[in-house]
Amino acid sequence: MQGMNNMKTHLSNKKTIALFTLPALLIYTLIVAYPVLQALFRSFYEWNGLGGGTFIGIQNYIQLFEDPLLIRSLRNGALFALVLVVFQIGLGTLLALVCADPKVRGRKILKTGYFIPVVLSVTVVCQLWIAIYDPTNGMINKLFQLLGIPYQQYWLTSPAVSIIAIAFVNAWQFMGFQFSLLYAGVKSIPEQYMEAATIDGCSKWKAHLKITLPMMAETYKFCFILAITSGIGAFIQMLIMTSGGPGTTNYTLTFMIYRYAFMDSEYGYACAVSIFLVVLSLLATLIINKVFDREKFSH
Amino acid sequence: MKKKKVNIIVAMTVFALSLSACAKDNNANIVPNETASGTAGSSTAGESNEITKLKVYLKYFDDDTKKPYDYAVAELKKAMPNVELDLDPWQQDNFQKLKTYAATGNMPDIYDADYGLIKAFAESKNIEILDNAQATKDLLADFNPGYEKSLTAADGHTYAYSATGTGFQILYYNKKLFAEAGVNAPIKTYDEWIAAIKKFKDKGIAPMAIFAKEKWITNSFYKGLVTREQPEGYFPLEQKGLFQLPDPYKLASKQFEELKQAGLFDPNATNTNYDQASSLFYTGKAAMFVNGQWEIYAATENLGDDVDWMYWPAKDEETYENMKFSLNGAPAPGGFAVAPTSKHKELAIEVAAFLARKYAEYQYLQKANPIVSLKIDQPISITPPPMMQRIIDEVLPNIKGYAKFNESTELNNALDDNTQNLVVKGFGNKQFDENMERILKKINK
Repeated sequence: MQGMNNMKTHLSNKKTIALFTLPALLIYTLIVAYPVLQALFRSFYEWNGLGGGTFIGIQNYIQLFEDPLLIRSLRNGALFALVLVVFQIGLGTLLALVCADPKVRGRKILKTGYFIPVVLSVTVVCQLWIAIYDPTNGMINKLFQLLGIPYQQYWLTSPAVSIIAIAFVNAWQFMGFQFSLLYAGVKSIPEQYMEAATIDGCSKWKAHLKITLPMMAETYKFCFILAITSGIGAFIQMLIMTSGGPGTTNYTLTFMIYRYAFMDSEYGYACAVSIFLVVLSLLATLIINKVFDREKFSH
Repeated sequence: MKKKKVNIIVAMTVFALSLSACAKDNNANIVPNETASGTAGSSTAGESNEITKLKVYLKYFDDDTKKPYDYAVAELKKAMPNVELDLDPWQQDNFQKLKTYAATGNMPDIYDADYGLIKAFAESKNIEILDNAQATKDLLADFNPGYEKSLTAADGHTYAYSATGTGFQILYYNKKLFAEAGVNAPIKTYDEWIAAIKKFKDKGIAPMAIFAKEKWITNSFYKGLVTREQPEGYFPLEQKGLFQLPDPYKLASKQFEELKQAGLFDPNATNTNYDQASSLFYTGKAAMFVNGQWEIYAATENLGDDVDWMYWPAKDEETYENMKFSLNGAPAPGGFAVAPTSKHKELAIEVAAFLARKYAEYQYLQKANPIVSLKIDQPISITPPPMMQRIIDEVLPNIKGYAKFNESTELNNALDDNTQNLVVKGFGNKQFDENMERILKKINK
């Protein structure tokens, strides 16, 4: 009781609150807010990364909206995000529901297995999939050949399928992470709800649809934010697997930033693209927050 | 308690002082020399009995970069015993590390610079102008004719000392596979090239291995076609008011497309790296391979007498003969540059020039590579590979010219992207022409 009182006193003391939050706030300001503000400031300059640069107002933003790479990058980002949502959240949910079922055997092995790719290095995973996607000796085309299915593809060089193929690699690797979040979400729902539904004659999958999934709104909110913002800002898999090519086929907004800053030395313009990416990610987060508003799912 | 506090304060003070001493040690670049004789060397370093350390940021990651550096350092020890180089190995990171050094005021004394970096550093004053240095005048006097241009940037200043000559791209071919497929070498015309592709494919031989995962090689391939019609390469594309892609460039994109349609490239070419492509060629699976003349050594080592090179085919035999000595390569300013912030600027300039000389000397004497920027008085001690001998006998005395270097990074990047796209099915020459015209409208307005 004494402890509770002390806690209450501390929480009502604004100085204490400030003292405890200040370090985190300072670190956040230093590593997030300051760079974002710097990028915003620099986006109004023609700047090569060194020296002061020349103030050009919103010229970089005008150029950005006229840049044909923007449309391609947005399209690729959307496709990438879609693949992540389908495979990481869709499949992750199914697997989480299966693994949460006490009747399923070998759940521990499955849970560990799903998470293994997450701890592997991205470079290793990309190299592995480059080999799997190899059109001549790769596992996928060989499998199609073995089954007599005429669907052999140039997975990483075909402009039509390469972005999906690359996104799938990300989805495959990090599905385990989303799975663990979703699994924790499923397990956090009190079993009584399911028991009550079963007593009322509801089937297992219908009960999941009506009870489990709506009650996981908060978890889904986080998972969707993670998947969609990762998709919009995808980069490393493209860099390793195709260098963004052929040509600029697999460019995303982050690849645009990389190209303009580090290849063209147009840091001012790259800052404008990064601010656009930040705004887009915030917008996506805002929309997801609205869609998964807890109130909507509470009853 | 009081004693404990005093002890802590004393300990902290000692610790802080030792740290600052360490920092001073790191920054100090002049240390007393107890062993150096001080008899030879530069005017700056040779007269005193102190060793001057220069921080250098140079390429040092494989035999081609390590051996010339080691050779130059050994020679430097003899010529300037009081100068020591402190190597910070160059990173393949588009100069990001060096730019960070520049932004934080921590520049090395001497560094490797290409033209893109020179432009950025000239603007931000992170590169020394070497126009009036005595070393520049001395080097110019010893430059091989034609290479002087690589010493001067577009703004008329000298920023770096180049050691290498101008590389150029050639087509390597496997003589055995050519004979097997009944293809006569060299292929001189474009029609012969198309016919040869069919013959190779009929025999189950890959016509060409190309590491098109790297965009510069598809760019070079396109430039090889362009230079048969326009020997200046891409240079004429940078003209105020030029918005239409001129005919030689359209013809080259059309030829590129038709070669692709005929099956010159593997459909997976844009995902093929150098190791994979060269392995296809060296294991006798591909009949041709495109790369610079520097590949001669590796090609000879792998294929011995079965490999030779040919000039770029042209639209007809007359053009082929007229243009074969217009080489597909462009001299660009670059090489050893000096930071204006160097505490030993004069010495650094002298050492940068020395390194350029010694790197050239190594290439010439140890690798029998005559394509170096500087004249070397000593005779080549080893026998050059036959393909290099052909270059020495046949090409070097007859060079009509190199393509001219073009300034625009934007144009170069667009060419990189769009030529790589040309290798892929579904992207045609019309699309290439349109994309390039969009870039021309942007850069030439």
